[in-house]
Amino acid sequence: MKVLAIMKRELQSFFFSPIAYIVFAAFMTIVGYLFWIVLATSKMATLEPMLYNAAFILLLASPVLTMRLISEEKKSRTIELLLTSPISPAEIILGKFLACFVLYCVLIALTLQYPLFMWHYAPDLDWGPIISGYIGLLLLGAAFISVGVFASTLTENQIIAAMISFGSLVLFWILGWAKHAFENAFGQMISNLSVFDRYAEFLRGILDSGNVVFFAVFTLTWLFLATRALESDRWR
Amino acid sequence: MIEMQNITKYYDNFRALNNFNLKVEKGEILGLLGPNGAGKTTAMRILTCFLPASSGKASVAGFDIFDDSVEVRRRLGYLPETPPLYPEMSVNSYLNFVGEIRELPFGVRKQRIGYVCERIGLDAYRDRIINTLSKGYRQRVGLAQALLHNPEVLILDEPTVGLDPNQIIEIRNLIKDLAQDHTIILSTHILPEVSMTCGRVVIINEGEIAAVDSVKNLEKNATGRPTWKIILKAPESFDWQSIVNKAPDAQINDLVQADTSEFKLRLNKSEDFDDLFKVLTKENCVFREITPIKATLEDVFLKITHGEERKENA
Ligand SMILES: Nc1ncnc2c1ncn2[C@@H]1O[C@H](COP(=O)(O)OP(=O)(O)O)[C@@H](O)[C@H]1O
Ligand SMILES: [Mg+2]
Repeated sequence: MKVLAIMKRELQSFFFSPIAYIVFAAFMTIVGYLFWIVLATSKMATLEPMLYNAAFILLLASPVLTMRLISEEKKSRTIELLLTSPISPAEIILGKFLACFVLYCVLIALTLQYPLFMWHYAPDLDWGPIISGYIGLLLLGAAFISVGVFASTLTENQIIAAMISFGSLVLFWILGWAKHAFENAFGQMISNLSVFDRYAEFLRGILDSGNVVFFAVFTLTWLFLATRALESDRWR
Repeated sequence: MIEMQNITKYYDNFRALNNFNLKVEKGEILGLLGPNGAGKTTAMRILTCFLPASSGKASVAGFDIFDDSVEVRRRLGYLPETPPLYPEMSVNSYLNFVGEIRELPFGVRKQRIGYVCERIGLDAYRDRIINTLSKGYRQRVGLAQALLHNPEVLILDEPTVGLDPNQIIEIRNLIKDLAQDHTIILSTHILPEVSMTCGRVVIINEGEIAAVDSVKNLEKNATGRPTWKIILKAPESFDWQSIVNKAPDAQINDLVQADTSEFKLRLNKSEDFDDLFKVLTKENCVFREITPIKATLEDVFLKITHGEERKENA
């Protein structure tokens, strides 16, 4: 399938660039540090603080992983190969998204050592919030990556793409503050868009279908916009 | 096989193509010739569905490029100005990827990659990382990519640009060889390239078609009367007037060197040259050089693109 071909090639090229390795190493170091520091200070078998802080590291890391996706194709003119092949922009975007998401899943899977470690010493560990937390982490990653894919379709400059997605992600984080600023319906409406408030609910063990739908719609919307942006390159 | 009707393309307010009409028959090699910025790449990008035209219609193999874009793309092989290569991949895995997005099933893919690599002379390079290949071999990989799905139509944008003379000859021969199985459009700003590879030429200037003809006709029309350049050593007593009598259009330059004379002759028919030759030998002239002057495509090109009346014996 053509989507799989795009995905496979993208994953291959991730492993040829040092960026993926650097992101992996940095993420694992910081998360490891967070885990031990939280454990040492709270002495509680909870993963919530680690997972919550991991989200901020991912906010920094995911623009770095996504910045090259389309920008690089534009820069090296390989976009001409893709767009003159019998493959649709939607398939290209989906393949790129999946490649990055697979990488992300591997990254997240590596952190499973910490709950397993805890479980070893605290056999009565409450798995509920951990499982829902990981589900939240996957949904959050999909959302981050979709914003990054979109940003990457806008420019052939990877750094600019990274800045755009980083800026947008920060915006979706601080939107949550609106509910403290305007204590009315408007503030509530805006803070509903905050991905972090919703993510925090997953960490507390609340698997709310509204939140799942929100992340799915959020991700699909950005992927749709990315598809349109890629198409509009042609129509310029 | 390929048809463009009244294609016009604007980039914002800049008109890159104006009322472009083109028809290419099956099995033809058509050359798009024009200076840089003439609109060759734009025309090709429109045909390959990479860019939309602002107005006009075009079809490839009977499929409209707007309404049946996917069908058109299935039938096209395209080598853009910059070969679209992923530098970190090996030739083999790159071609495999292209085969996948070109919808070739596994078995066919393997077989086509083998065939194309052999035909293009990439057999020994299949495991090489593209990054490590020379410019000539990258161009070949680009060509292999365009050929992989055995398309009816090949569109090659300046396929020999940036190559060294040996590589240019190899790629040209390859293209001529490919014409047996494919309809080809290639663009170039190098004149001899067209006369060497193409059957028919479209000369583009500033987005407009300035001339369409076979290479032979274009050259013939520009040549006009037969012309020779002659350099000879004549005895001091030589009567230059006798040449002028024989050939009224002859231009006799001043002595180029102490003992040689260079002149150019324009004759009404080739046979006149025979008479003149006899006179000159009888007068004990020693010939240093005799060159028939053929108008090249270059003359045609300059004439058309600059509207200049170039002297045929210039
Ligand atoms: N994307 C673009 N935006 C604006 N102008 C362009 C673009 N691409 C090409 N042009 C202009 O259109 C003209 C034709 O370009 P092109 O088709 O690339 O010419 P050629 O391939 O014959 O050298 C040039 O003047 C070029 O500057
Ligand atoms: Mg060009």
